[in-house]
Amino acid sequence: MTQPPIDVSDFGMDTISMSGSLATKLQAIRDGGFSQVMLSARDVAGHDGGLEAAAKLVRDSGLRVSGFQVLRDFEGLSGHLHDYKIDVAKSMLEMCKAVGSKLLLVCSSTSTHATTDLDAMARDLRKLAMLALPLGIKVAFEGLSWGRTVNEFPQAWDLVCRADAPNLGLALDSFHAFATKTPLEELEDLDPDRIFFVQLADFMWQEIRSVEERITTARHFRVFPGEGVHSEQLAHFVTALDRLGYRGDYSFEVFNDDYQQMQPITVAQRAWRSAVWLQDGVLRRSVPLPGQMRLKSRG
Amino acid sequence: MSSIREALADSPNPLQLDGIEFVEYATSKPQALGQVLEVMGFRPVARHRSREVLLYRQGDMNVIVNAHEPPGETPCISAIALRVRDAASAYQKVIAKGGWAVPTKVEVMELNIPAIHGVGSSRIYFVDRYTEFSIYDVDFVPIPTVDQKPPALAGMHWFGVVQYVGLDRINDWIEFYGELFGFQVTPAETHFGVLHAGRILRSPCGKFFVQLIEPLPDLPDDESPERFERVGIGAADIPAAMTELRQRGVTFVDSHGTGSEARGAITETWLGGVWFELVHDAR
Repeated sequence: MTQPPIDVSDFGMDTISMSGSLATKLQAIRDGGFSQVMLSARDVAGHDGGLEAAAKLVRDSGLRVSGFQVLRDFEGLSGHLHDYKIDVAKSMLEMCKAVGSKLLLVCSSTSTHATTDLDAMARDLRKLAMLALPLGIKVAFEGLSWGRTVNEFPQAWDLVCRADAPNLGLALDSFHAFATKTPLEELEDLDPDRIFFVQLADFMWQEIRSVEERITTARHFRVFPGEGVHSEQLAHFVTALDRLGYRGDYSFEVFNDDYQQMQPITVAQRAWRSAVWLQDGVLRRSVPLPGQMRLKSRG
Repeated sequence: MSSIREALADSPNPLQLDGIEFVEYATSKPQALGQVLEVMGFRPVARHRSREVLLYRQGDMNVIVNAHEPPGETPCISAIALRVRDAASAYQKVIAKGGWAVPTKVEVMELNIPAIHGVGSSRIYFVDRYTEFSIYDVDFVPIPTVDQKPPALAGMHWFGVVQYVGLDRINDWIEFYGELFGFQVTPAETHFGVLHAGRILRSPCGKFFVQLIEPLPDLPDDESPERFERVGIGAADIPAAMTELRQRGVTFVDSHGTGSEARGAITETWLGGVWFELVHDAR
């Protein structure tokens, strides 16, 4: 396949958006014209040849790994539950490093066993950041819209500030911001250098009436930016971040049952159209702005 | 009860750190490194009971040369042992804050010295037996007829360790050493010796320093992995120390008559990566 004419190197795909093996997904993402990928731990854990073979596959794909997801229900636990989650976190950090990712995505806890004490939650995130630090991994904390204590990005930002570690930052997901109708003006209060990752997705209906519907929509009915009914908000979201000075990665976090039944390359082509719309139509970058320094050697 | 714990946690020296107990190098060429150490004034004083590991010493400086499962020929600093008041307590505190425990593999009757992962593939040990008796009394057998306490050349002593870090990683590592051990970052203009780069952290006991140095911006990460790069050795009179070391065959990087010898000196590089930095330090 010839290289498409528009450079969308600021945008990448999440492997969770398509079905198939890790090799199939990487191939589709590359053939779709992307240069970066957000990996899921499941891709690696379920890989036939094991972690090393999965890591080699990722390296050989030539795709840059923008992140590794996702550590769930981490913060706010105590006693044996805390120890258990620390073990899970360490396992994920080791996989994250092995596949060449410098970023681990953590989403806010939904656990009823977790405390709502913000200082305790911040202490846990700080500990996670320390665990990640010698491995050269940054931790990006995201407010899940059905999180128990943290369910909007301003709260997630508050917790990141409380935890205060240089390798701990914020991950934003447009889906969650739209689902909770968090005012996008709140983006202006964020420090662009502490936004470590941005995930983009839309969905097909205007209203989400309950938390249950929010969860179902998030897990099964997301679509790529430009395919849903919040295109205007998405454009606003991305331009607001751009104006703020965010120059990091964007990735499409699209959980969609229909896409799981389509050929991966077809899904990648839909993602590509979305990237072109954002790059060319929204941000109007004929040439991509310089992102963060990317010095990782390929091959 | 909790207020007592809080007070302890906020102590400027939470682990009761008290200097460096030993520096360990790993290499598959232990004899070659041993020769380098001897030129630098160290003496082999003991052998490990069960592994291919040798202890070198001068004055208060202990160097362990570990050829047991070495990573390669070029010696690398594989561990640093820190003296603490209570090793078990220090280890637990550091683990609770996010240190990675290193599983220990000890033979029968050997000491289980707790360790966490440090930079790269290195380890940081915690040792609390360094006054009345030492860890070496248990795990090592003295080499017969050798002075077990060879004096240091020119009063040389540990000054610190230089750590290479990745690009934009200085602040990360400042946080790591501060959070886990209580190191304080010194002002940006603080420098010792002749190589002025990066940032310097002062140990909470005030007995040694860690210097963090970033790579040049155009160097790919993979070509300059994070690691302990070299040790710094303090001496009150650098020209005198240089004279003694030159007599033993050490050559130094030329300072081109800048008069910098009073502040410090850099030795030649041996074995593809071992070098020492001398730093003026009146202690």
